[in-house]
Amino acid sequence: MNLKTKEIEIVLSKKEIVKKVSIQVKENEFVGLLGPNGSGKTTLLKSIYRVLKPQAGLVLLDGEDMSKMSYRDTARRLGVVSQFTNMSFDFSVEEVVLMGRAPHKRALSQDTAEDFRIVEDALRTVDMLDFRNRSFQTLSGGEKQRILLARTLAQQVQLLVLDEPTNHLDIKYQIQIMDVVKSLGIGVLAALHDLNLTLMYCTYVYVLKDGKIVADGHPEDIITSELIKEVYEVDCEVVRHPATGKLYVVYFSKAQG
Amino acid sequence: MRGTLMDNRLGRKHILMHFVILGFIGLLILSILLAVCIGSVKIPFYDVYRIVLYQVTHIEVGDPEILGGGTLYEIVWNVRLPRVLMAAVIGILLAVCGVVMQATVQNPLADPYILGISSGASLGATFSIMIGASTVFTGVLAETGTAFWAFLGSLGATALVMLLSTLGGGRVTSAKLVLAGSVIASLCGAFTNMMVYIGNDADNMKSVTYWLLGSMVSARWNKLLLPGICMIVGVVFFLTQMRTLNTLLLGEEAAITLGVNLSLWRKVYMIFTSLLTAIAVCTCGIVGFVGLMVPHIVRGFAGSDHRYLLPLSALFGGIFLIWADVVARVLLENTEIPIGVITSAVGAPIFVYMMVKKSYGFGGQNP
Repeated sequence: MNLKTKEIEIVLSKKEIVKKVSIQVKENEFVGLLGPNGSGKTTLLKSIYRVLKPQAGLVLLDGEDMSKMSYRDTARRLGVVSQFTNMSFDFSVEEVVLMGRAPHKRALSQDTAEDFRIVEDALRTVDMLDFRNRSFQTLSGGEKQRILLARTLAQQVQLLVLDEPTNHLDIKYQIQIMDVVKSLGIGVLAALHDLNLTLMYCTYVYVLKDGKIVADGHPEDIITSELIKEVYEVDCEVVRHPATGKLYVVYFSKAQG
Repeated sequence: MRGTLMDNRLGRKHILMHFVILGFIGLLILSILLAVCIGSVKIPFYDVYRIVLYQVTHIEVGDPEILGGGTLYEIVWNVRLPRVLMAAVIGILLAVCGVVMQATVQNPLADPYILGISSGASLGATFSIMIGASTVFTGVLAETGTAFWAFLGSLGATALVMLLSTLGGGRVTSAKLVLAGSVIASLCGAFTNMMVYIGNDADNMKSVTYWLLGSMVSARWNKLLLPGICMIVGVVFFLTQMRTLNTLLLGEEAAITLGVNLSLWRKVYMIFTSLLTAIAVCTCGIVGFVGLMVPHIVRGFAGSDHRYLLPLSALFGGIFLIWADVVARVLLENTEIPIGVITSAVGAPIFVYMMVKKSYGFGGQNP
């Protein structure tokens, strides 16, 4: 599955948030979307998963204009884990994950044993099977985040859009979630804040600033101390770790001189 | 390997809930049968059921004298039975509309009246009673009664609320809808009060009040037809929508990413529930609290899943209103209490109990 945006433009309250952005997620690619707060990452993602309508531009899924597809069709191919918003009604963890099956169901079709098996597998994958009977409301932020990933796994999609999926998570689950997503072997587009995680997992990155793509390419080529200085206004050094052979970023703070 | 539903806790809950629903259907039928026997005139059970049985199946049991005519026949067949059925129908309508409205605007405090229906109906009814259609209009409109104006008022108010919530562009959010509902409610309230104040007629004021609080007193077989059909159509339609209603509860964004065309279905649900509620209101006045409270009580023991919530709320609403109407009939001798007084008086303490009981959080965050 291949995702493309063509010159997306989004204006919110008369302010141009996203300016002619064209990006691409090829088959099985793990694409990172970097950029400081307010650079338009979330807004761009929202237009991709159809919560916002772009003023101009196209989103193409396998070459097909997504705005002409039914929402159900979109939901069967593209799954989303977005930044968590409060729910005003309570469900059990299992019920929430079961709703990931909704796009595959007709109005009157019943849940089958197969659906329950998929739900169970999804919960096991995110290490939350013991929580299946708990009320969703009583979970911590990180646990909720993992349940929402499980719901998306139950959706069995071929492309994932993630908006800061590691938000609220401790380091163990940051790595676990990224591992889970990576192991699915499907196309991923993820807005990320952590440059080290980006270097670890992404095969391609786009860097967004003030609604425009300022750089794109393989993370090892793109993430440099100059770019980070320019985009995030932070001093740092990008070094290669002797044991892993991977690049990582060390930040310098003004307070420590 | 394929398992069975029983292998899974949710699967077992599914099966269990089917029995609970069957139990509630039994309770509803039992309530109808019992409520027909209760009233200011004491009629033995035996006679009540002889009359009903004869009317339904034409099987004669015992003395055929009273079966097809006379006072007992009148009371049982033409007054009490339609009244009990009307209470059931209105209860089901309001409870279902409450469930759907809470999901549609994603607000646990929503009820069927939240889009300004009750205030619009009040305005229409007050106009009809205090001023009268015939003093303003001529021709066909002059012949129209309170029910017609209440219906018109409901739909007018709802249309205005929907229009208001689309002002300023952008997506229609639940917050906008609720706010627009309050705006229209306060506007309609102002006009209603002005008419009552200027009209200053004690008798008319009493009938306005009586109407606003709701009553089943006017129920007859011919008046049962329209709400009955609406109830059946409404329940059947929403039973096909349970999956979509569930995803709506997860939030606007989640609903879209799970494949729901949110803006389309929200409009469909709002228009449909508004029509159903307007029918209920113009038949029996504004029966408060049922549409808000019943869904919350049922969520307390069945959870938020609409596959159980919707049918159980419908049945519970019907049962609840039947008994509220019985109390309204028999509590004071020779006087009818408006049914809205009963539902609110019973509903308030139940709500308090559920607030105190920590296991149910009213949709909000549990402490």
